[in-house]
Amino acid sequence: MKKLVAILRNHYAKLLTVVGFLFVWQLVVMILGIKEFILPTPITTFSYLFIPELASQYDWFTHIETTLIEVLIGFSATAFVGVFVAVVMTWSRFLRQIIMPIITLFNSLPKIALAPLFLLWFGYGIIPNVMIAFLISFFPIVINTIAGLNAVEEDLLDLVRYLHASKWQVLVKIRLPNSLPYIFSGLKISATLCVVGVIVGEFIASTQGLGFLLKSAQGLMDTPPMFASLILISILGLSFFGFITLLERWVMPWQKSQQQP
Amino acid sequence: MGHAVAKKPTTTLSGKTFNTIKRNYQTPFVILIFFLIWQFSVVIFNVREFILPSPLSALEHLLLPQPDANYNWSVHISATIYAVIVSFAATSIIGIAIAITMAWSRLINDMMLPLFIFINSLPIIAIAPIILLWFGYGIFTNVLIAFLVAFFPVVINTAMGLNEVEEDLLDLVRYLHASKWQVFAKIQFPNSLPYIFTGLKICSTMCVVGAIVGEFIASDRGLGYIIINSQFTMDTPPIFASLILVSLIGVVLFGLVSVSEKIVMPWHQSEPIPR
Repeated sequence: MKKLVAILRNHYAKLLTVVGFLFVWQLVVMILGIKEFILPTPITTFSYLFIPELASQYDWFTHIETTLIEVLIGFSATAFVGVFVAVVMTWSRFLRQIIMPIITLFNSLPKIALAPLFLLWFGYGIIPNVMIAFLISFFPIVINTIAGLNAVEEDLLDLVRYLHASKWQVLVKIRLPNSLPYIFSGLKISATLCVVGVIVGEFIASTQGLGFLLKSAQGLMDTPPMFASLILISILGLSFFGFITLLERWVMPWQKSQQQP
Repeated sequence: MGHAVAKKPTTTLSGKTFNTIKRNYQTPFVILIFFLIWQFSVVIFNVREFILPSPLSALEHLLLPQPDANYNWSVHISATIYAVIVSFAATSIIGIAIAITMAWSRLINDMMLPLFIFINSLPIIAIAPIILLWFGYGIFTNVLIAFLVAFFPVVINTAMGLNEVEEDLLDLVRYLHASKWQVFAKIQFPNSLPYIFTGLKICSTMCVVGAIVGEFIASDRGLGYIIINSQFTMDTPPIFASLILVSLIGVVLFGLVSVSEKIVMPWHQSEPIPR
C-alpha cells in the first residue's frame, strides 16, 4: 500500500495528463456534436471494451492474445539473436568484417517494406508478423550491444591482458557487464519497434490481432472499436516498455536508467 | 631511405580518399558478394520467380520498357518521393520550431518533454487507419502518417540538445549580462546541432517507413502500393524492384542529412549508424 502511494506520488502528473486528456476529448465531442463514426467519445470507446453486449461482437480476448503472443515471440527472438550476433561480431574480427556491411545494408533498408514479401513466403498467420517484428527490432539491439561491448576502458583491458586473462574471461567479466546499459537501451527501442512490426504485419496480413481489428473496423467505418484497439495497443506497448525498465532496474540496481533510450 | 622520401608525395596526393577507400573497401565488396550469391543461388537452385526473383530480373523490370509493363513506374516513384520529401520537410521544420519554443520556457519544457517522450514510446503507426478514415485516400494521408511517425524523434532530440548545456557556461554568460536571445543563438543552438542532426537522421528513415506503411493501407499510388498490389498477384520482381527503389530513396535522404551535417559541423565526428 505504501509502495502504491509512492508510485502514485511519483507519477501523478502523468496520470493527471491522461485523465485530463480523456476529459477534454469527451467534452469536445459532446459540445461540438461530432458524429460517432468520425470521433467517438472515450465513454463510447470504453463501453465497447467493457459492456458485455457491445464487447461480445468483437472477440477481444483472441485478438489481444494473438498480438501479445506475436510481440513476445518476436521480442525474445530479437533479444537473444541480437545479443548473440553482437557478441560473435566482437569476438571475431573476420566475422565482423563480413557481417557489418550486411547489417549496414539492411539497416538502411526500410524493413517494413519487406512485410508483404513475408506474407507471400510464409502465408497468413503468426509467422509473417513475428518475422516482421523480428526484422524491424533486430538492428537496434545489435548496434547497441556492439557499441557497449566495445566501450570498455583501455586501461582495464591492458590490466587483464597483463594478468593473462583469456578472451572468454574478458568477454564474460568485463565486456558483457559493461555493455548491459547499452543492451537495455537497445531492448527499449526494440520493444516499441516490435509492437510496431506486429501491428503493421496485422494490418496487411492477418485474420486475427488488434492490428487486424483496427484495419477491418476501418473498412466498415466502425470507429469505436478502432479507438478501443488503439488504446489497447498503446497499453500493450507501454506495459511492455515498463516491464523492460523494471527488468533493467532489477538487473542493474546501481544504474540510473535514461528515460529516453 | 630515399625510397621512403620518394614515395611520400604520391600517397599524400589523394591520401584522404585513399584512406577512406582503405577503411571502407569491405562494405561495397561484401554487398557485391551478397548480390552475386543471391543471383547464383537463384539460378543454380532454380528458385521459381514468384518465390524469389534474381536481382537481375528485378532490375530488368525496372529498367527495360516492357510492352506488358503493369506499372507506370515514374508516377509511383514520384508519388513516394513527394510524400517522403514533404513529410521530411514538415517534420524537421515544425519539429525544430516546437522544440525551440519549448526551450524558451522552462515550465513548458518540463511539461511537454515527458509527454512527448511518452508518446514516442507508443506504437504511433497504429493510428494510420484512423488517419485514413478521417482524410480518405490520397497522398495527404500518407504525408500525415509519415509526419506523425517521424515528428517526435526530431522534437525530443532537439529539445534535449537545447537543454544539455554546461551550467558553468550559462553562469558565465549570465554574469556577462547576456540576453536570452544571445544565450540561445550563441550557446544553446550551436550546442544542440549534433542532437538535431541525430534527430533528422532518425526522421529521414522514419519518413520513408511512414510513407510506405501509408501506401500499404491507404493509397492507389506509390511504391508501397506496388509492393502490396504485386503481393496479391504473386508478381515478385516488381516487389524487389520497389524495395530497391525505396531503399535508394531512404539512403539518398539519409546521405543528404549526413552531408549537410558535415558541412554545418565539420568538427563533429558522428556515428556511422545512429542508435
